[in-house]
Amino acid sequence: MASNKLTVDVLVVGGGIAGMQASLDMANQGYQVALVEKNPSIGGKMIGLSKVFPTLDCASCITTPKMAAVAHHENIHLLTYSEVQTVKRNESGFIAQVMKKPRYVREEDCTGCRSCELVCPIDLPDVENEFGRIARRVVYVPFATAVPQKAVVDIDSCIFCGKCLKACPADAVDFTQEPEYVEIEAKTIILATGYQVTPYDAKEQYGGGKLLNVIDGLMMERLLAPTGPYGHVLRPSDGKQPESIAYVQCAGSRDETLGVPYCSRVCCMYAIKQAMLLAGALPMADITIYYMDIRTFGKGYEQFYQNAKAMGIEFVKGKVARIEEDEDQNPIIRVELIDEGSRVAERTHDLVVLSVGMLPSWNPQAMFGVQVADDGFVEQPSFNLSPAMTTQPGIYATGTATGPMDIVDSIMIAGAAASEATAYLQSLDGREPAGSLVEERSVVHA
Amino acid sequence: MPERSEILNPNGKDRADRESTDQEPKIGVYICHCGGNISDTVDPQKVVEALKKLPNVVVSRDYPFMCSDPGQALITEDIQEKGVNRVVVGACSIFLHEQTFRRTVARAGLNPYLYYHIGLREQDSWVHHDHPEEATDKAIRMMSAGVAKARLMHPLEPVRLSAEKHALVIGGGVAGLRSALDIARMGLKVTLVEKDHFLGGRMAHLEKVFPTGEDARTLLHELIKEVLAEPNITIHTGAQVVAVQGYVGNFQIRIQQQPRGVTGDFREVDEAIDACPVEVPDEFNYGLSTRKAIYRPYRGCFPSGPVIDWEHCNHCEQCLKFSQNGEINLKSEPIEFEIEAGAVVVATGFKPYEPFPGEFGYKKFPEVITLPQMERILSKEGPTDGKLEWNGHPVRSIAMIHCVGSRQIDGVHEPQADGNVNNYCSRVCCTATLNVANLIREGFPNVSVFDIYQDIRTYGRGHEDYYLRASKNRVTFLRYFAEEIPEVAQAPLDSEYPLLVRVKDHLTWGEEIEIPVDLVVLAVGMMPSPVDDLIDMLKISPGSDRFLLEVHPKLRPVETAVTGVVLAGTAQGPMSIQESSAAAEAAASKVAVLLGQGKVELEPYVAKVDPNRCQGSGECVRVCPQEGAIRLETIGVNGSSAQRAVVTPSMCNGCGICVSSCPNQAIDVQGWRLDEYEAMVDAVTEEIPAQEAVV
Repeated sequence: MASNKLTVDVLVVGGGIAGMQASLDMANQGYQVALVEKNPSIGGKMIGLSKVFPTLDCASCITTPKMAAVAHHENIHLLTYSEVQTVKRNESGFIAQVMKKPRYVREEDCTGCRSCELVCPIDLPDVENEFGRIARRVVYVPFATAVPQKAVVDIDSCIFCGKCLKACPADAVDFTQEPEYVEIEAKTIILATGYQVTPYDAKEQYGGGKLLNVIDGLMMERLLAPTGPYGHVLRPSDGKQPESIAYVQCAGSRDETLGVPYCSRVCCMYAIKQAMLLAGALPMADITIYYMDIRTFGKGYEQFYQNAKAMGIEFVKGKVARIEEDEDQNPIIRVELIDEGSRVAERTHDLVVLSVGMLPSWNPQAMFGVQVADDGFVEQPSFNLSPAMTTQPGIYATGTATGPMDIVDSIMIAGAAASEATAYLQSLDGREPAGSLVEERSVVHA
Repeated sequence: MPERSEILNPNGKDRADRESTDQEPKIGVYICHCGGNISDTVDPQKVVEALKKLPNVVVSRDYPFMCSDPGQALITEDIQEKGVNRVVVGACSIFLHEQTFRRTVARAGLNPYLYYHIGLREQDSWVHHDHPEEATDKAIRMMSAGVAKARLMHPLEPVRLSAEKHALVIGGGVAGLRSALDIARMGLKVTLVEKDHFLGGRMAHLEKVFPTGEDARTLLHELIKEVLAEPNITIHTGAQVVAVQGYVGNFQIRIQQQPRGVTGDFREVDEAIDACPVEVPDEFNYGLSTRKAIYRPYRGCFPSGPVIDWEHCNHCEQCLKFSQNGEINLKSEPIEFEIEAGAVVVATGFKPYEPFPGEFGYKKFPEVITLPQMERILSKEGPTDGKLEWNGHPVRSIAMIHCVGSRQIDGVHEPQADGNVNNYCSRVCCTATLNVANLIREGFPNVSVFDIYQDIRTYGRGHEDYYLRASKNRVTFLRYFAEEIPEVAQAPLDSEYPLLVRVKDHLTWGEEIEIPVDLVVLAVGMMPSPVDDLIDMLKISPGSDRFLLEVHPKLRPVETAVTGVVLAGTAQGPMSIQESSAAAEAAASKVAVLLGQGKVELEPYVAKVDPNRCQGSGECVRVCPQEGAIRLETIGVNGSSAQRAVVTPSMCNGCGICVSSCPNQAIDVQGWRLDEYEAMVDAVTEEIPAQEAVV
């Protein structure tokens, strides 16, 4: 079991948009950064999105250049498909044990040519990136814009036929690979461990995941993405182009029955954005958004909402009580129409999208000693003035590890974490003041 | 202005001419689909095929995301393996990914200025999406122009300059203080200017901040104390920027500072204030009380001593009686001084929306006040000493109306003097209103609160609790639509209450409801502070909402189009205190990246004189709008002395006016030479072989 050592200034845990941004902000100042990502590619949730609000830039256009910048930055040591296992404090900072999971493909040799993928005889649902809607091979490069462009073997599904071994021009496939361990010594740590969405089968009243034509927002992102599974928006049960699509807001947020009393902050905007994209992709479709409050609070967001209304997207106030389906598997929504005298109505749609909320992806308390709050996200002891600070000195948290937020806010608070971590590093160095400028001008002059 | 001596490569010493241009151009052209943004309208295959036929084009490709790592790898491989020495990318706007592709090209060993970017998305596919064939034709022409330019491009080197490791922060509210502290802690010097005489900005007016319930001024003072203890920070209060020159790394900023008129060691403060006969509305209490012409906003403010309000002081000299040792000086004059800074942080904050007279009865009925005024009433140090009374009467029933000056609709709401309505959401007022509603219901349980809203936007971490708590506190919620604005009217004479609020409530199916109240509180939104002068001086831009505009909300969220000028806090748009802090720290991070190395690079697109053609006419010097950018120097020519134009690259902004004025065609702007323009124009208008391919 080979053990390598890496000494850096900052360890960033999580390679989504917040972790990448914090890494770049630190590396661009000349600090050495180790970025550890558990998945085979960096990019996080954002790389799976279609277009992003409020600019409607394609998500890849924002994410992939940052991914490339991280990959090629001389000050960033990127460890993908790797997990932090233990963290200890020592006199100079932290020592983290990181396990590099075996790809069964030697990363240093693989060129990402995908010859292995072409010959692999086994097709499996691509659960990791496409919610199982299309197939992938057992050996595969995760997606077209993955960083690094390196194949990984799904070893549990492999039949060891050896075809990829023979096909690989770089001789990179290696079924004997073992986990590698890297000891990372870092002076400070930034946690950017992100979020997961509310499981879309969590709510029994919404079909508990059993209704084929009830999907969640992230699944719809894939259907809308140019890199998505079908290239069209098709509903799961029969591949029909939906003519009537409904969004159920707060499906997993502001819902005490799911133990999630808080607002997830992004769902209003992503539903409106998807509705606008659907109006473009399916011009004849009726799109309805069932909501409790429309929370389009960010810069340019309210104008975005007003545009959606002007485009003919229907907004109906009412919390959806129940979703069932008819004999053709069309979802039937039961809702109190508050604007129509609180009449209870049942409305049938071709496809229902649950605007699921954000839950913490992981609890870092045991490993990093940082406290988490009642909502499960990392506690921010200096909430208003130092939002990236945690209860552990020298450890900062950023992005959705500290609560639901959108990409704009994640990037902003990633800059904040970089700033606080940099100030912390400077304080360790016993920084000399840059020079005294203290003058008495602020008092009085006569 | 003195010439800067720190220029490391005065004339952009052309590796250009060495590497040079004699080699045959081998051009690689790349069409990005932009994930459908371009390829849904433009046919990339047709463009690729058409461009292949152009002279010097050795590679012509398309790819779904050129900016992704595999997309960039196509370029680097072509440079290294196919000998491509000029790169033209047709993709999104140049503002998004010019830097990305420059780095790509440089990584492959090519001069980064041998790449040219065509904006196929903004300038073609997005604007012609109903005309795919014509858009494809246009794409071919635009790309052909790029190829024509690429044939003539020379390698260039950026202008490298030393940078002041010193930032100017404009604004002493929470965002300015936070960014100053972070920049200083990252090892740079900071000068902070605040136009008011006291630090703390709008946060100082608040009582309990959400969602933590902390005391606003206690929290603020912790931050101020840290800032004051930081040796890298110099603070000037009562100070404003009056002139800006220079560029990133080397801004010269002129600051005018109003005198305080009172020294910091003055002791008999209360006596002097009492003696002053002048009374003016107290802006700290948003006009709910008065203050004197010698004043301080509150006890414990920073700096702690009072100041003279020069606008209202009548020089009666009553206060001087307490100035035993000359601590008060009523003859103080403003001073001006200059600082050099490498970067500027604009943290100029917001002002609360001021309703029109008559809007929801504001100024028409004294019982209609704004939320910031209500916060002052609830303050123990406020105008009513924390008692909930108005005009001497106890308050029994309050209506709070949301979205006043926010989420306005053209044609429904009265526009402001500049013709604008505020069509944005101000983000914080919902939680701020519920915060106050809860303080009232919990502190004064006999007072009824009616909350009249459109949507409750308690979006942030911990905010929803305020909504739930308000419901448990039995705040009565009523929902209105923007098109049916609630009406505030005088109550009938027989009413026990002065006012009546009429709402068409959509929680009770559009019922018309009349609420008798003692007080109406308008939850006013945020407006940008008036900073037109700074916008002009710094050459930055406001957005359509009139808040200052960032380059891109995700790629460069705190940067302005002017390198070295960054935004922090509510100058950019409505934000909570937490969001202001985060934005301020992100701004600080950006400043540290810019200046941390002590040097900056500027674009090489500056004027360059051909000394063999220059006859020293001086036309260029006469027309140049940029002081110090070009001058005549006497040099020896063939044994006699002659005048020749010389450019200072760091001062030149590449506007090209000199190019058009030169009678001898001796000046050109590097990277945008006349011969390049001519070739591009020819290419756009030419019958290109592509034409057949499009049909």
